[in-house]
Amino acid sequence: MSQIFSFSGENDFYRRGVTYPNPKDVNLLLSLGSLVDCYFPPCKRSRVVAPSRYSAFEEKPVSIDVLPEECLFEIFRRLSGSQERTACASVSRHWLTLVTSIRQSELDVVPSSKTEDGEDCEGCLSRSLDGKKATDVRLAAIAVGTASRGGLGKLSIRGNDFTSKVSDLGLRSIARSCPSLRSVSLWNLSTITDNGLSEIAEGCSQLEKLDLNRCSMITDKGLVAIAKSCPNLTELTLETCLKIGDEGLQAVARSCPKLKSVSIKNCPLVRDQGIAALLSNTTSSLGKLKLQLLNVTDVSLAVVGHYGLSVTDLVLSGLSHVTEKGFWVMGNGVGLQKLNSLTITACQGVTDMGLESVGKGCPNMKMAVVSKCPLLSDNGLVSFAKASLSLESLQLVECHRVTQFGFFGSLLNCGTKLKAFSLVNCLGVRDLTTGLPASSHCIALRSLSIRNCPGFGDANLAALGKLCPLLEDVELYGLKGITESGFLHLLQNSLVKVNFSGCSNLTDRVISAISARNGWTLEVLNVDGCTQISDASLVAIAANCQILSDLDISKCAISDCGIQALASSDNLKLQILSMAGCSLVTDKSLPAIVRLGSTLLGLNLQQCRSISFSTVDFLVEQLYKCDILS
Amino acid sequence: MIVLKSSDGETFEIEEAVALQSQTIAHMVEDDCVENGIPLANVTGEILAKIIEYCKKHVEGGGGSEEELKIWDKEFIENIDQSTLFNLILAANYLNIKTLLDLTCQRVADMIS
Repeated sequence: MSQIFSFSGENDFYRRGVTYPNPKDVNLLLSLGSLVDCYFPPCKRSRVVAPSRYSAFEEKPVSIDVLPEECLFEIFRRLSGSQERTACASVSRHWLTLVTSIRQSELDVVPSSKTEDGEDCEGCLSRSLDGKKATDVRLAAIAVGTASRGGLGKLSIRGNDFTSKVSDLGLRSIARSCPSLRSVSLWNLSTITDNGLSEIAEGCSQLEKLDLNRCSMITDKGLVAIAKSCPNLTELTLETCLKIGDEGLQAVARSCPKLKSVSIKNCPLVRDQGIAALLSNTTSSLGKLKLQLLNVTDVSLAVVGHYGLSVTDLVLSGLSHVTEKGFWVMGNGVGLQKLNSLTITACQGVTDMGLESVGKGCPNMKMAVVSKCPLLSDNGLVSFAKASLSLESLQLVECHRVTQFGFFGSLLNCGTKLKAFSLVNCLGVRDLTTGLPASSHCIALRSLSIRNCPGFGDANLAALGKLCPLLEDVELYGLKGITESGFLHLLQNSLVKVNFSGCSNLTDRVISAISARNGWTLEVLNVDGCTQISDASLVAIAANCQILSDLDISKCAISDCGIQALASSDNLKLQILSMAGCSLVTDKSLPAIVRLGSTLLGLNLQQCRSISFSTVDFLVEQLYKCDILS
Repeated sequence: MIVLKSSDGETFEIEEAVALQSQTIAHMVEDDCVENGIPLANVTGEILAKIIEYCKKHVEGGGGSEEELKIWDKEFIENIDQSTLFNLILAANYLNIKTLLDLTCQRVADMIS
């Protein structure tokens, strides 16, 4: 036998430690089973106790583990520095929880707000936890870790709804160790309750921003606690918090005089009382108000109209219980003097009379967006445009009762300041059949955007060309009804930005004409999806456009010749070029693209099937300043 | 005089003033259950001896200036090993002797530093 086990030394079979140089041989031996007459114990390495900071504790019969929580607490609160606190917090989860549960007032040594480098920055750190990483332990770790490095200023936790591992304990750790917390954002955390929020209220009295989204266990009690302890609150955002109602809002209104921005969405328990309290108590500070998908009635709008003296931005969306009367009263209450920007979406109460009243009542309104209001008709739009003397930008989205008469009527009757008009998805707008008065002009209009209004056609463009001589920025998106002659009506303008995406009838002739006429003004040209555009357009652009910086020719019928034409132009200094989906552009264009790349900052080559991967790699390497999408 | 019995059967006889530094004992005295001595099942004789030593020194007045007392405390706490220290913390917690608890916990905090 000893010949088989030919290792040096003893004839003893029984051995500890590694006996074979190659551990795989052991299997061979053991597989011999009953044929081998020896005992071979499992090879186990002797256990090494890693030397730890507290190794002294482990060897003694009595270790620090015998101490109950209250004693450990007494020890921890006497720790003299943040390093020691961090070290203790790293020992175990139990110690971590204990260290972070000490309130600032209970600490023997108050931590300074200076960082290790001596810089004074209180609450300059910002942390964000998402999904699986959102746990109590991580929150406690953040609480300890940020304390010595300037303090946590902003915290954002995005949970996973049902499986969230963040609970009140985690919030408690943050609350007690981060007194400089100013902004808290809690999304999708159905496991936190009012207790957690109360802890934050108690510990973080400098809180300025609170954002709660889908926190289904939070009730008014939590909000009341925040209101009482955080007088510096300036921004409040509540979304889908099913248990928060008027009482919470009333408390906030009473106790937070600095409240500047409030946004409430989809909180079914919030009613008129809450909104009324908010507005009447924060009249002098509340600037931004967003009310979306709430069960409020005309009363709230009346209050907004009377008490919204400081409101500059107002968003009213999905308020299904508000009627025409509400908007009428809001307009007639002389409160909205400072209103700058108004957005109304999906409110049945927006009728002609209602909107006109709002237009009259807000003399300083510069921006208005009216969206998804099926009852608004031409008369309403025209009278609104007439009444809003300061209006600079008007956008109409999905208001299907508005027709081309309303559109042109508002352009003819609008105030002298209207610079931008946008129509999106208004299916009622069709082509003009009659002409417009010859001498009419809309002198201020600079920017026009018509998106997805299928009825918009050539006659409208002809009228627009005459009506708006100073038009610079034109966007005609997805208008398949416009033909070549329609586009050519825009030639009398000096265009700066042109976007004709999705207008499938656009031809080379138009682009050539536009580039010839606007060579010295055109900066942005987008013809994405205009399948009739070919190399001829590119030749014209290369020849004429002196200051073009952004060119989008995605999905056009362009090929290598066109790209080469672009590259050979001396005046063209493109910064952004997109030729996504141009399958006729091949590797032959590589030198041209490199030449263009000397000024390019962004290049889009997605779905260019004829350009190989190696070409793309080469470009990525060569054009290091350029951001390439492929 | 109050009699204290440790968990391992040792008895200690001390003056009331000394014993009353422990809030726990003070409550027991108030409740009048000290006839046969106070059994302290959580404290061993060794630890109890140390505690009594501490309390005797800290009886009202301290018998010296504050400085002297601090020096004595420092010597007291520095000359004991860790297991004694932890046992002292446990005992001070149980007997509710605030000053001793402060001293011992501060000592551990300093040791962690």
